Amino acid sequence: MAAPAANAPVWLGLTRVVLQRIASALLTLLLVSIVIFAAASLLPGDAAQEVLGQSATPEQVAALRHEMGLDQPAVTRYLDWLAALLGGDPGRSYIADMQVTELIGARLVNSLSLAGITALVSVALALTIGIVSAINRGSKLDRALNIVTLSLVALPEFLIATVFVLLFSVKLVWLPSIAMVSPEATWSEMLRSMALPVACLTFVVSAQMARLTRAAVADQLDRPYVEMARLKGVTFRRIILFHVLPNAAGPVLNAIALSLSYLMGGALIIETIFSFPGLASLMVNAVTSRDMPLLQACAMIFCAAYLALILIADIVAILANPRLRS
Amino acid sequence: MNGRLAARLAAMPLSGRIGFALVLFWLVVAVAGPLTAPHPVGKFVDEEVFSPASAQHWLGSDYLGRDVLSRLMWGARYTVLLALGAAALAVATGTSIALFAAIRGGLVDEVISRAMDTLISIPSKIFALVLVAAFGSSLALLMLIAAFTYIPGNYRIARALAVNLVGMDFVQVARARGEGAIHIAWREVLPNMIHPLLADMGLRFVFIVLLLSGLSFLGLGVQPPHADLGSLVRENISGLPQGASAILSPALAIATLTVGANLLIDALKGGGEA
Amino acid sequence: MPPAGPPPISRRAVVGGLAGVGALALGGCGASSQRRAPAIRGSIRVATQLSSTNDTLDPAKGATATDYTRHFMLYNGLTTIEDESLVATPSLAQTIESADRQNWYFDLRRGVRFHDGSELTSRDVVFSLLRHKDPATGSKIATVAEQFEEVTADGKYGVRLRLTGANADLLTVLAQSHFLIVKAGQDSPDGTGTGAFRLGDFQPGVRTVVLRNPEYWIEGRPRLERVEVIGIPDEVSRVNALLSGDVQIINAISPHSTKRVEAEPSCAIMASPSSLYSDLVMRQDELPTGNPHFVLAIKHLIDRPLINRAIYRNLSTIANDHPIAPFQKYFNAEIPQRVLDLDKARWHVRKGGLEGVRLPIYATTAANGSVDMASILQEYGSKIGLRFAVNRVPADGYWSTHWMRHPMTFGDTNPRPTADLIFSLFYDSKAEWNESGWKNERFDRLLVEARGSADEALRAEIYGEMQQIVHDKCGVAIPVFISLIDGYDKRLKGIRPIPLGGLMGYRFAEHVWWED
Repeated sequence: MAAPAANAPVWLGLTRVVLQRIASALLTLLLVSIVIFAAASLLPGDAAQEVLGQSATPEQVAALRHEMGLDQPAVTRYLDWLAALLGGDPGRSYIADMQVTELIGARLVNSLSLAGITALVSVALALTIGIVSAINRGSKLDRALNIVTLSLVALPEFLIATVFVLLFSVKLVWLPSIAMVSPEATWSEMLRSMALPVACLTFVVSAQMARLTRAAVADQLDRPYVEMARLKGVTFRRIILFHVLPNAAGPVLNAIALSLSYLMGGALIIETIFSFPGLASLMVNAVTSRDMPLLQACAMIFCAAYLALILIADIVAILANPRLRS
Repeated sequence: MNGRLAARLAAMPLSGRIGFALVLFWLVVAVAGPLTAPHPVGKFVDEEVFSPASAQHWLGSDYLGRDVLSRLMWGARYTVLLALGAAALAVATGTSIALFAAIRGGLVDEVISRAMDTLISIPSKIFALVLVAAFGSSLALLMLIAAFTYIPGNYRIARALAVNLVGMDFVQVARARGEGAIHIAWREVLPNMIHPLLADMGLRFVFIVLLLSGLSFLGLGVQPPHADLGSLVRENISGLPQGASAILSPALAIATLTVGANLLIDALKGGGEA
Repeated sequence: MPPAGPPPISRRAVVGGLAGVGALALGGCGASSQRRAPAIRGSIRVATQLSSTNDTLDPAKGATATDYTRHFMLYNGLTTIEDESLVATPSLAQTIESADRQNWYFDLRRGVRFHDGSELTSRDVVFSLLRHKDPATGSKIATVAEQFEEVTADGKYGVRLRLTGANADLLTVLAQSHFLIVKAGQDSPDGTGTGAFRLGDFQPGVRTVVLRNPEYWIEGRPRLERVEVIGIPDEVSRVNALLSGDVQIINAISPHSTKRVEAEPSCAIMASPSSLYSDLVMRQDELPTGNPHFVLAIKHLIDRPLINRAIYRNLSTIANDHPIAPFQKYFNAEIPQRVLDLDKARWHVRKGGLEGVRLPIYATTAANGSVDMASILQEYGSKIGLRFAVNRVPADGYWSTHWMRHPMTFGDTNPRPTADLIFSLFYDSKAEWNESGWKNERFDRLLVEARGSADEALRAEIYGEMQQIVHDKCGVAIPVFISLIDGYDKRLKGIRPIPLGGLMGYRFAEHVWWED
């Protein structure tokens, strides 16, 4: 990125790609909000009934419905919500008597930290495993790593999580079994309490990334240009770093982005087992209490996170691979 | 036909043959197991819970004193058939849509791709929760949920393959001949992408087995007294500290099934490319 | 205001971790010295089985054990129950007088202060009692409060309460968490009570932190500095959290896990027989569950000894399809115990024209043991031509979306201190939680009659008959009474069972202390 003049067309192209993608991302977000709204309207009951309990009088329910605006037609409610959101206000929770932003705030930070730390660990691990086994493909090491990654995906994550807790918390007493991040906790405490959830999620997402990395890198290694470069006397290390990896970046980054998007919404089971106050369990809570504004906000966040990841993956792939830049 | 299969098997590396054997074993259990199960699936046969393997109960008893072997045989049927059905459905749907998008191109392609992004970005377990709450839990719904979850993934792969193929000469020639879209999709494009698609279906199968077990953790699995393999692990999890056979057997079953399928896919991929 | 934030809780020292390795190498289980202890003396963590955005600081809206526990830490009632005798004693009221059990006079304790420094007066009490009658409050026990005909202040410290009819159990009723006293004028109470702890942090669905109230009006209480209440819905995770020392006390342990807790030398379980029950609810306003033959067929189809053995490891008490447990006052021992009787069940099925009925039973982990009870019922149902499907639904949201909303669901009823409360909350035809939607006029009349009677023999006779009516006609089947099992760290002292609920009837925080 040091030669600005030569790269000017790249930035131009990139800007166009980013703008295009942001436009289509907005379209996707709109679609998601419609799907969520429609799916949630299929659910029996509504927030007013949830708040008042089973045998509240019809008058009570009707009054609360009116107050919540639930007596409006569904389309009106949706458009009102959309208008407010475009104005920057995701609304007020029906159930908890708090702003949605207030409910989500701390949990978003939690979910992002969990996903972020897991991403750092698992991407590093997966790339190492994938590249090492691709370079040594066919060797004993490759086969051993293959078996390791295969067994990683072979078990349900709740079983892995439970085994970890039994081993590291109950038996060894090394790490906490619950991952409640208190606001007053120090950094090191936070990292300790998140160690087990991070380890479990790493197990879940790394294997697939590693296997795809191996496949992509091995595919490049078999191409003629690698042999050519070797004959020219380029060091193997240089070939890997400057030729193979940039060319393999596209599929690898795509796989990474897909796996990482799982870390936000897919962490539900891990959140449940470790009592981790994250967004996925909040969204489940929103579903069961019919708390539409909260549900929509969570869905928007998950969708945006996914789209952002895919976009970043594409941009990095373009930057990494000279051939894609033109 | 048999000869080709045998030749194919013989050409496979050992790992592929092991994978094939494991998958075949579980297919047989899924089809024939329940017929040979020693006890009815919901029957309380043992006063003790989590008892170890014995002559009467080959795999011991579960947390309520039911026969683990019988439950495992039924569980294998649910898991294997549900996952197979869902994987086939996901791949058939995803690929059809992908072919349509690739051949039409332009705005159609863009809209479909965005719709797929929409589906993929909604967390599948939460989506499942909503659907089960709305429609009640049933086997058909479980299969639909699992299929739905993996349609977008298959779509991405199939579309990438199809877009490549659509640009090739023989497809252009067919177009010039005036062939219809269905003919092009079915006769020209699909046959050339069948190998990677089969491998993808195998992968989806493994994912779905694990997704189903995740759903059973949330109480969304197969309804009692039946249980899929994941539910068996889940309901017996309190036997884990004592290493009860009731939890180890279904866990091992899932592991061998998924590893076996993966090994087989790897071997097929290698063979396909060669 | 509470002090500006408590000091951080550090995790257990590295030494503990190293000792843990040794323990594993020896294959033994950890001794208490190796397990982590809270860093601040007297700061503990409690894990209960439910927590969601429905968590509330309003005693009137309390609906879960987590809510009750939170409310008892923050607020006081006019009366309180502090031991297993279940006798209500004066608390915020120092003396209570009534000649006829219909007109009551409460003389309030002087100098009791809310957490914000203001003094407790009759105004607060009148407000707290009357708000249950306001529909806008959304009180969970509005039907109980209907008997408050008039509540008036008599001077700064006197409160007069006139009931619609006599009620001999009033003092016990007032000791419930719903009737805790909040500050006058607070339509949504914010935790400002007169209780032993002040609110430190409250995040619905995440945690509640309370800190010792140094000006608590009871000398020498509380002895804990800080209590944090969190929800761990998954039972296995909850037990693991206790065993690993991450929490110091938990409720609702499954009978299957008691061995694990007992195997850990530094932990103990507290099991107390209780009148908690999970009941099969058959809605009377729907078919076929509204058919009396259906109800009786089901009641004869329940294998109670099997449920006790397989699900509860013989830790439960066999029940007889009515809500009064054998160890409770007014228990009617003369009603013959209902047993599994396939012939009778079959007869009722035929008589009611119910052959081949297909019906889903909604069960959930939120109702203790219900999934397995439903499985057992399904197994027996198939023997007499009733084809049940077990619909296992998620615990989260079960009470608001499924319970009582399908013909067959499971309920889960916490122990209540008096027969009157149990019957008026769950069996009165007008009650909010009349689970089966049944209506028996004689029962409703007897309920009022017993409530006002001062004659113990007569009350026993009436309550006996009411049990018989429920046993015969009500659309709920009660298989067993479930013992409440809590687990705690042995360094937590002063714990004893109060059979009103887990965690010493939700009141443990004020009584226990920590000793290293």
